[in-house]
Amino acid sequence: MDYLLQQSMNALSLGGEYALLALGLAIVFSVMGLVNFAHGDMITFGGYAMFLVAAGLGIANPALLLPVGVLSVALFAMFLERVAFKPVRGAHPTTGMLTAFGVSILIQNVALIFVGTRAKSVPTMDFLVANVTIGAIRVPVVQILETAVTVVAIALLVVFLRRTTTGIAMRAAAKDVQTVRLMGVRADRVVATAFAISGFLAGLATIFVLARRGAVDPFMGFTPVLKAFVAAVIGGFGSLPGAVIGGVVLGIAEVMLQVVLPESMAGFRDAFIFTAVGVLLLVRPQGILGQRPDFGEKS
Amino acid sequence: MKIERRALAGAAVLVLVIVAVGILMGGFASPYHQRLFFTFLVNLIAVLGLQVFMGNSDITHFGHIGFMGISAYVTAILATPVAIKGSALATAPFGLNTFAIAPLLAVLIAVLVTLAVAFLVGVMMVRQNGVPATIATLAFLVIVNVVAMNWVDLTRGPRAFYGIPVKATIAWGLASASFAILLARAFRDSKWGLQLRASSEDVAAASAVGVRIRKLRFAAWMLSAFMMAIAGSLFTLFVGTISPKSFYFDLTFLTLAMLILGGMHSVTGAVVGCVIVTIGVEIMRFLESGPVVAGLQLPEMFGLTGFFLGLIIVLSMTFRPSGLMGADEIDDLWHRRRLRKAGIDIS
Repeated sequence: MDYLLQQSMNALSLGGEYALLALGLAIVFSVMGLVNFAHGDMITFGGYAMFLVAAGLGIANPALLLPVGVLSVALFAMFLERVAFKPVRGAHPTTGMLTAFGVSILIQNVALIFVGTRAKSVPTMDFLVANVTIGAIRVPVVQILETAVTVVAIALLVVFLRRTTTGIAMRAAAKDVQTVRLMGVRADRVVATAFAISGFLAGLATIFVLARRGAVDPFMGFTPVLKAFVAAVIGGFGSLPGAVIGGVVLGIAEVMLQVVLPESMAGFRDAFIFTAVGVLLLVRPQGILGQRPDFGEKS
Repeated sequence: MKIERRALAGAAVLVLVIVAVGILMGGFASPYHQRLFFTFLVNLIAVLGLQVFMGNSDITHFGHIGFMGISAYVTAILATPVAIKGSALATAPFGLNTFAIAPLLAVLIAVLVTLAVAFLVGVMMVRQNGVPATIATLAFLVIVNVVAMNWVDLTRGPRAFYGIPVKATIAWGLASASFAILLARAFRDSKWGLQLRASSEDVAAASAVGVRIRKLRFAAWMLSAFMMAIAGSLFTLFVGTISPKSFYFDLTFLTLAMLILGGMHSVTGAVVGCVIVTIGVEIMRFLESGPVVAGLQLPEMFGLTGFFLGLIIVLSMTFRPSGLMGADEIDDLWHRRRLRKAGIDIS
């Protein structure tokens, strides 16, 4: 029972991380139709920002690094939108996706050229890696925080999307950008907000990714974001609730496999997961909450 | 398949140019440049294979190198002499280290195995729309890599698989690349290719006039996998040593950049992009190593090649999203020129 509880905590926190990333992808996709392959490299950027601030300014207190991580990623997301994605706004979806893909390669290689291949360590936040004992189980603080932060972030996002003018405009833009513009809403602002939120969520994820890894390297963003993409596809691509559900489902599936697989097969975990997702999509091409792919035929 | 004479002429010109360069390279170039040219031919086949699916269906494909990897490993496992496999693959499953078959037969089996995998993945793929389909292709690439890295008994895992008979020659490369050009062009200009291209522009309209989108997408997917399999086997039989890293992101980025720069809707574009990027990457590799240029010691800049590829993709997408060739083939260019000379306005 305790073991089960411990593993469910594991699954929830991992699912929370995927949900944060998948939500960020889904928000940007729903507002401007961009498949942001550079999402993972925002994590990398946040990691390096924390590393540079820690090493350059000699800040020893890791608590001060947390806002650096979150805010740098949010600002970086807005910066990328301005520099890289604005020129391809309204272009064919493939164009946007490949641009983001190219941007991702650029960021990785800039990190490679200027910081090098070797992983750089970021001061770990001691209170994050500590364990707390609840009843009979010992849970790392980071897992509790991760789950809690994910829940709070999603709740805030829901309030924002339902209660504020910008939030409502964003939801409307997901349906029809042109009409939203005709209503006098600046498209620039809606898109910038989408990126800011997406970056903010990725920034939160950065903290947790780093708390787990303790180090940054140029390619660290790829795996989490691939998982986030898969989560978004499981949930139904473009659907915000779908992104959250997909993230949690993926987290649970991964932890379950980790428990079930014998050690000699552990390396194959991701292959099993992705194959299972492939089979799921065979049965339900639209994912859990998505819309059926349109092939222009009668349904 | 009925193909227009003009399309055939266009493909023939591309083939002739490549073969002429190949004969010159084979006869006069240094071993280093011959190697470079062979790698170019392998990449060209891979880019053409990518073009067949991506250019006609307009679904971004990140998994093509996975097929190349499967084919390469199957060829390697089957064709490597027993003497080497005995020690390198001492724990191989299914008694695979107890026999070896002729390289060409190994290629044939490798292609069939690759096609079988492509079939299974393709059944799932064709039910998806653009974005989930693209992510599925990326996940496929990761699956292939995970299996190659972890099935140590079969592939030696992350360590290099060595001792594969080096049989492929420039002539093999030229023949395969020429075949790939003709195949890609024949598919693009066939009825099926045209229908598939139409469906990528407007699903509803194409479907309304009776285009069977899923079936055609599947056909393009299989043809693409076939070409990738040829590229993978050829590569293996030329270099003699492979590792999972040979068939992962580096090659994916490289081939995608080539196709994007040239223009993914055009076979000519695939060839042009492959030529330009090959030359560009060679220059970048030189600069990366920190050479002395005009008396100036440049710093070592590991990552410059990747930066160059990323830049090509971003700049192409920003300024010329349809690539250098757009949707034009080499024969479209002549044709238009001839019409213009004849005073016919075609704008």
